[in-house]
Amino acid sequence: MKLTRRDLLWGVAGTAGLLVTPVPWKLLDDVSIWSQNWPWIPQPAHGPVEVKQSFCTLCPNGCGMRVRMASGWPVGVAGVASHPISRGALCPLGFGVHQLNWHPRRLRTVRHGASSSSWEAAQVAFAKACSEGPIAIIDGYPGRAASSVFETFVQKRNGSYRTVSSPETLALAPYANWSGVPVAGLGYDLENAQTIVSFGAPLLDGWATPGRFTRLWAERAAGSKDPQLRLIQVEASLSRTAARAWQWVSVHAGSEAALAAGVARVLLEEHLVPARGPMPPMTLAEAAGQTGLSTGAIVDLARTMVARPPVVAIANGDNLAIAALNVVLGAAGARGGIVRKSKHTESYASADTGIDSARAVLIDASVPWDFVPPTNAEVFRFAAWDGGSSTADWLLPAPGFLEELTDVPTAPTSAIATYAVAPSLLKASPEVQSAAQFLSGIDPALMTMEKIIHARCADLFRGRAGTLQGQEATPVAKFASVQKLEEQLWKGAVWVDEPPRSTAFRCQLKEWPTTVSSAQALSSSSVNWSNAWRAPVLPPLASKLYQESSLREAPDRRNA
Amino acid sequence: MNARYGMVIDLDRCTGCGSCMVACAAENNVAPLPQASPRTGITPMLVRKVSNGMEGGAQREVFIPIMCMHCEHETPCVSVCPQQAVEVDKATGIVMQMPQRCLGCRYCMTACPYHARYFNWWDPAWPAGMEKSLNPGVAVRMRGVVEKCNMCHARLHSAMAKAAAAGKREIDPADYVPACVEACPTAAIRFGNLADQNDAVSHEAHSPDAFRLLARLDTEPKVYYKSKEAWVRALAESKSGPGSEVKHG
Repeated sequence: MKLTRRDLLWGVAGTAGLLVTPVPWKLLDDVSIWSQNWPWIPQPAHGPVEVKQSFCTLCPNGCGMRVRMASGWPVGVAGVASHPISRGALCPLGFGVHQLNWHPRRLRTVRHGASSSSWEAAQVAFAKACSEGPIAIIDGYPGRAASSVFETFVQKRNGSYRTVSSPETLALAPYANWSGVPVAGLGYDLENAQTIVSFGAPLLDGWATPGRFTRLWAERAAGSKDPQLRLIQVEASLSRTAARAWQWVSVHAGSEAALAAGVARVLLEEHLVPARGPMPPMTLAEAAGQTGLSTGAIVDLARTMVARPPVVAIANGDNLAIAALNVVLGAAGARGGIVRKSKHTESYASADTGIDSARAVLIDASVPWDFVPPTNAEVFRFAAWDGGSSTADWLLPAPGFLEELTDVPTAPTSAIATYAVAPSLLKASPEVQSAAQFLSGIDPALMTMEKIIHARCADLFRGRAGTLQGQEATPVAKFASVQKLEEQLWKGAVWVDEPPRSTAFRCQLKEWPTTVSSAQALSSSSVNWSNAWRAPVLPPLASKLYQESSLREAPDRRNA
Repeated sequence: MNARYGMVIDLDRCTGCGSCMVACAAENNVAPLPQASPRTGITPMLVRKVSNGMEGGAQREVFIPIMCMHCEHETPCVSVCPQQAVEVDKATGIVMQMPQRCLGCRYCMTACPYHARYFNWWDPAWPAGMEKSLNPGVAVRMRGVVEKCNMCHARLHSAMAKAAAAGKREIDPADYVPACVEACPTAAIRFGNLADQNDAVSHEAHSPDAFRLLARLDTEPKVYYKSKEAWVRALAESKSGPGSEVKHG
């Protein structure tokens, strides 16, 4: 058949005519939509959406969290603006925390050495160990109802209850030693400080409760040449905090203690502070030599520090010289410095010592994965995720995020006592158990979490002090019954204590400390929220931070 | 609705924490891509670190969150798209990307002066069971299409539905806040209607410290930045500016 000019014109006209009809566009649209819905492309679950209040319990800071649930599953989280400490902020990892329960490294089976075992076998082994010698329980999040279960269990068996410290709580340890006030009873009164000198502490990078200082800094310091709150960062490298600080003091790595001594000498010699001692033995020239600063720069720093009081120095770990500097500055036990909280009086022993004679050690899931107990005892380790390279004899699967009822005690560095309840929003699978449930299986006389939380709520109600901070603030004294108060706490309200009448305490320090703390090395290495993250794995979306961008270097001990 | 939604990002407040990046990915069902690199990943909100180039104590750094700038004028990605898969929403000013129409030619990625567009190199995949954690308001995009920031359009839909249910024509501004804005712990990212002279964001966009990246291209981006630091403001017109360090695809 011969193609004529007329055929060509008909063809062109026909094609043009077809294009002006909806047919090809509808076909294209349908093909596109069809190709968007291949069976292997995951589809979000549809169903009723509701928002529930809870708390992030993956570290001891207990940030307030709004959890969006669809069809009963968490599909997104956000901060709670009304939370008195975290004030609507979360750490970056917190925004992907709702996906953690499906992490490929989620533990679902009991492991004994390299092989699978059962809960019954683990209970028999632990009960046998309890009958053969002393046991130790290590807690990474003291003050909870579960902690109460642990303490009761070890008290009955003449065992020991130990805790693992964070760099923030380690920094408070010297004041506890010098004053007798337990570390859990101390906190930083940042809200009333005018000058904060951070010796390597990542104040803007997840230090303590991430939202507390970042919100404060954003309101009182960010972008101002003469801010209400002066943040001075002493650090060897330009960290995130140093980059945003009012002043960055670049010193040689590990020389923070020398700088603290040099500054204290200037403060005392020039009578810039009321204190008369203790005088550091280090001369100003020696301090300058160690830090890499000039003597004039140290003098300037000392004068700047006291120019706008109250001033407080914050160490990144247990640094005695920086604690002594606070004593010289008058920041220990003073408004705008380190203060005594109203409630906490418990003193916890560290897990670093005193467990070497134990027959068995039980490690709660709240303990950081990289903590290895200094003992040859049989180790029963609870964890929701397997971080790899475990040396524990028993690895026991614990409830994951939002799968367990827990309460939320005061954050470690807070200046005021708080209390909240994080109800279980997801039903835990039958193959997991918390350490408290495990111990209750061995000793049925132990109180349940619900009863302990109820007892604590009753204590708050009887105390008639403080305020319940929810959508609105309600004084505890206005609640008609403990049930009403408990109901609000279960719905996500936070109890906030009244400001204590006296936050003062006295540090007995006659000589400048010369003992180098074992944890002092922390001051030269940056610790931030990803190091403080206690879950053995990171949320999968952390790949955006560590891998799909150049924003941060991947922490090598984690499995994103 | 006749809005021009935009943002003002105060760089003096940004600490480079990355909360906005993770919150954005979670909200928009962006898959974690453990196999990806900065060149092949999908980060509709991307925080970059830029230094002033000095050494020692004189060194300074700033963190610049970069996303689609939602160009208003001669929008480069719109004009090159052969599929009409990109358009500027007349009602909101948001530059919309329609993955159903996208054929993956990546002309738009080449045209975008901010490198704010990302190609789906792999089928979106989550570990087994994790699809239950996906946001039901956002469809998952498949392999072979381009995606970018759409100012959390699903949240706008929710706000509009809420307003409609209440018999209102206009949304409550408090009901429409993108995930990155909500997540920012220092309130460095602010969002609002640039066309509304009473909106605080509109005021900030015209402050002396405000600037737009590559403003000389005259594309009128609706994302503004702010800084009191002169060297930071100078980055805006730098030929090797913050958007040009990493190329995608």
